[in-house]
Parts: sequence; C-alpha cells; structure tokens
Amino acid sequence: MKLPPVLRLVVRNFASNLDPLTIIIRFGQPVITIVVLGTMFSSIISTNVTGGGSYTAFLVPGMIAFQMITGGVVSGNLFWLDRRWAMVEQIFSGPFRRSEYLGGLVLTTLLFALVGVGIMMLVGLPFIGIPSLSPLGVATVLLTVALGSIFFAGLLITLGTRLRSANAYFTIQSFLQLFVIFLSTVYYPITPNTPKALAVVFYANPLTYAANTIRDAFGGTLGVVDLQSLGVLGALALVAFGAAIWGFRTMELGPIQ
Amino acid sequence: MVKLSAGFAAGYRATMPSDQIALETFDLGYAYARGRFAIRHLNIDLHRGEVLGLLGRNGAGKTTTVRLLTTLLPPTEGTALVLGQDVRYGGRALRSRLGVVLQAESLDFVTVERNLTLYAFLWGVPREVAKSRAEEMIELFELGEARRRKPWALSGGERRRFQVARELMHDMEILFLDEPTVGLDAIARRRILRYLKERARHGLSIVFTTHILHEADMLCDRIAVFHLGQLLALDTAEKLKRKHAGAREVSVTFTAPPAPEVRTELARELEARGAVLLERVEDLGAPETKVAFLAPHAEEMLPWLSHWAQSHSLELERMAVEEATLEAAFLGMIGDLDPASTEEAKDRDRSSGALPPGRIGGLT
Repeated sequence: MKLPPVLRLVVRNFASNLDPLTIIIRFGQPVITIVVLGTMFSSIISTNVTGGGSYTAFLVPGMIAFQMITGGVVSGNLFWLDRRWAMVEQIFSGPFRRSEYLGGLVLTTLLFALVGVGIMMLVGLPFIGIPSLSPLGVATVLLTVALGSIFFAGLLITLGTRLRSANAYFTIQSFLQLFVIFLSTVYYPITPNTPKALAVVFYANPLTYAANTIRDAFGGTLGVVDLQSLGVLGALALVAFGAAIWGFRTMELGPIQ
Repeated sequence: MVKLSAGFAAGYRATMPSDQIALETFDLGYAYARGRFAIRHLNIDLHRGEVLGLLGRNGAGKTTTVRLLTTLLPPTEGTALVLGQDVRYGGRALRSRLGVVLQAESLDFVTVERNLTLYAFLWGVPREVAKSRAEEMIELFELGEARRRKPWALSGGERRRFQVARELMHDMEILFLDEPTVGLDAIARRRILRYLKERARHGLSIVFTTHILHEADMLCDRIAVFHLGQLLALDTAEKLKRKHAGAREVSVTFTAPPAPEVRTELARELEARGAVLLERVEDLGAPETKVAFLAPHAEEMLPWLSHWAQSHSLELERMAVEEATLEAAFLGMIGDLDPASTEEAKDRDRSSGALPPGRIGGLT
C-alpha cells in the first residue's frame, strides 16, 4: 500500500538527512545540560529563586520547552540542505505538491520535538521523580512544544527560502538560537531583580511563554495566563507558518551555495 | 543491444494512452520579472516514443523549456499540453507521469543503493520492485563499486550516472533529461544513450538537452534548435543537415606545418570567402599541419586551396570535404557568433522578442 505523500516525505526526511550522530548531538546537548548544569547549579542556587524545588526541577521543564528549538532547527536545516543539494527542486518535479513538502517538514519537526519531550522527561526522572502531570497538563506540554516548534521551524524555513548562502543561513540560525535561548526563562526565572529592559525582551520571546507554561503544567498551576501564553504561541506559529508558505510560493529554485 | 527487464517494458506499455502526441506547446514563453524573456513563442511537439533533442548555446532557453514543461516554472505566455494536461494546472497528477533529470546535482546523504530505493519509495514504487530495479540500474550504470558509497565520495561521472539511474527507478511516460551526459566518459555515454534509445523504442518519450552534437545526432529523432530564447528550427537531424549545413567541413593537411604568418594569411583569405575556421579541443597540441573550416560552397574551395598552397610553396598531403555534420548545421543556423555581440544581442532582443537580423543561416 502506498503511503500518503506527506508521510512518504517524512520517512525520507528521517532516512536521508538524520544520521545517528546528528540525533545524538541534538538530544544529547539538553540531556548534558540537565545532568551537569542541573547537578552543579542545584548546590549553589537557592530553592527560593527556583520556586521551591531544586534547580534541576526548574531546568527540566525549560529543557522540554527547548525541544521546540531542536525540532525547528532540524527541519530548518533539513530544508536548507535539500535546497543546497537541489533535492527541493527534484522533489517538486515529482509527485508532490509544495504544500506536501512543507507539511512533511512540519511533521518531521513535530515528531522530533515530541520525541525530545519524552527523552527529557526520562532524563529528568532520577532528579525530579515522576511529575504529577494531569491529562490537561500533558496536553498543555505537548501543545506548547508543538506550537513552539512550528513557530521556530516556520521562521528558519522562511529564512532558508530567502538566503542563497550557507554561511549566512547557519550564522543567522546560530545567532537566533543563542538569542532565543539565553533571553528566555529556560535557564533562569524573571525575578523582581531582573532589569526592566531585559524583562521586556524576555517577554517578547516565545520560548519564555513556552517555558513558563510547561513549568505551570509541571507544578499543577495552569491558569488563564497559560491560556494566554498558548494563544500568543499559536498566533506566532501561525504567522511563521504563513511566512514559510509565502517563502515557498515565491522561492526561486536553482543552485545556491 | 540493451535489453529491458520484463517489468519495465510491461510498465510502459500499460501506461501508454492511445493519443500519440506526448506534448505540444502553444506560443509558450517565460519572462523574468524585468520583462526579459528566457523563452518566447515556443511551438514544439513530441510524439509518443520519440526522442526530441533541444540544442542551443548556453542561455538559449533549453533548461527554461524543460522547467516549464515539468511545471517547475509557470509560463508567463502561452501554454503547453503535456500528456493532455495543461502545464498551468497539471500539478502533481501530471508530474507523477514524468521523470526529470535536472542539470543541477541533486542528492540525498545516504549510500548510492539507499538513494535509489529511497527515491523509488518516494515515488510509491513497491519495495520488491524497487530492490530489483536498483540492482538493474546499478549494473546498467556501472555503479557496483559505488553502491555503498555516499554521494560525496563519488566522482563527477559517477554522480551523473547515479542521477540518471535514480530517475529511472520509477515508471513515467515522458523523461526529461537536462544535459545528462556532462562529465561522462565516452563508454558510459554510449551505454546510457543506447539504453535511452531502447526505452524510447518501448514507448517512452524523451526530451533531451545537450551540447554534444553528435550525441543528439545519435539519439534524437528530431532536434529543436534554440537561440536567444527562440526556436530556430525543429526537424530531423538529416533534414537539418541538408537545410542548414550548406557549409560543410573542409579539412586540409599539409606535409609540413605552415609558418604562423602563412596560417594567419590563410585564415584571412578563408574568412573573406565566408568560411569559418574550426578549432577543436582534440586538435589542440597536435602538429599544426591541419586546417579545418566550414565553407558554404565547400567543393569550390578545393581548386582555390590547391592553387593557394602552390603559390605559397606548400605541399598538400590530404584535402577532403567531409559529410555534412550536425555541428555544421548548428553553426550554420546560429553562426559563429562573437560572444560579445551575442550578449549585446541577448540584452537587446530578449525584451523585444526579435532575433538579430542576418544571423540565422549566417554562413549560407
């Protein structure tokens, strides 16, 4: 039986571009962060700052939110490599619509991000035990990461449709990652001592909304604010995905470097 | 003779509709954003099981034509019916009946063998069929040694062979090949051409672009010659030669190389008589005893040459008028244009759609 085109593309995305080393590094980096950073900082950071739990307990939801970046980067890079090696053009000349190719990328992003969520949960187990997540909490975590991944993937794919140089793409992508991660509440909370200007930047960052919402889901304190956060993430995901569609429609095929 | 597997042959017969026209264009054109035309007023057709060659200089519009006919580019003028479907609306349904080997190298980061089966999977070819086809393609395209290698470990020729092989993993009714033999050695080239000819005999229609004229002569049933985005001629190779190779190749071999100033004088004299000197890569480095040129009235040149040689105390070893070649026909149509004037003409004429006057059939 023939699989639907989008699923065939997802299988191909995993089979062709994701070698074991890439997967290990992509998931290994946040795992190392939880283990090393969590252990080391837990001993020096007061539990008052992290809301009563250890720093590791604070970090695990942050690393789960981080999976939206992992998923987004995976499909952004996949798309860039496909474009660089003319596979986008080759696939477009075959039995696929552009929307199906884009759909395949988004599904790849989601799968990667959601697998990442599972891995972070497992790694966090020895440190924080089994989180008391309600079904609503689980749904919120998954939805948050899914929307965040679509946002970040959309952003990088749009970038990939515009740039014709690998150097430019990877430099901007690295800078974006750095900016989004460090100016968010993944590693540290916003406290009354946080400089106002920096707090504004933190709140302009979608990863902050994702990290805060996931923490609330873990803490069983989901409320209206989290619903608003999901709304913001949903809107941003929609805008970024719309931009990616526009990028696809107007993209010039042909050789790039 | 290249033999097709039973699976391939049956697949093509089963997908052949009764209509004998595989594709037809109607004033097809494509203009860039600033109104410069890549191709304009293109009217060509392709019959079932026919091999159509697209010839032309770089930038003549061959690749754009392939991209328009495979729906990779939307036409800005006119349209084309490919397998009975309008390229403007055909989309996926149409593309699923085509095969395209692009000019650019397109590769996935897995081994050659996996690339072949993965591509077949993308096209929905059943796994068992894909496995046996992959074996067939690996053997046919001599990729046995490279089968476990990843694309970056392949030579340029292997990559090109692999790319053609990969496209042949799925069934199709029209195969578009954009310069598929670039970088291939003569043996690999012949092997591929013979195989394509055999597939065409079984009903596959092929559109083939190339710069290697004898390749087009060998493979193509008809040839379309492009220049500056317009179609100059569409005919069989024989008819093109008859019509346009009014200029035939004359080769003269002297017993000893003439002095450089004598060669220059000869070149000047030939040019004055409407001949075009041929400088071929294979002649480079050879002793300069041979002169080859295209001349409009080749036979009439022989007595003159003989007289000229005598008057310069040169002894002739051999003097011959060659059979008309596609190269002569091509040069006859396009003329031995000076690249600078071509660029200038391109800029001027792409927007107006007109061809430079007096260039067509410049030698005849």
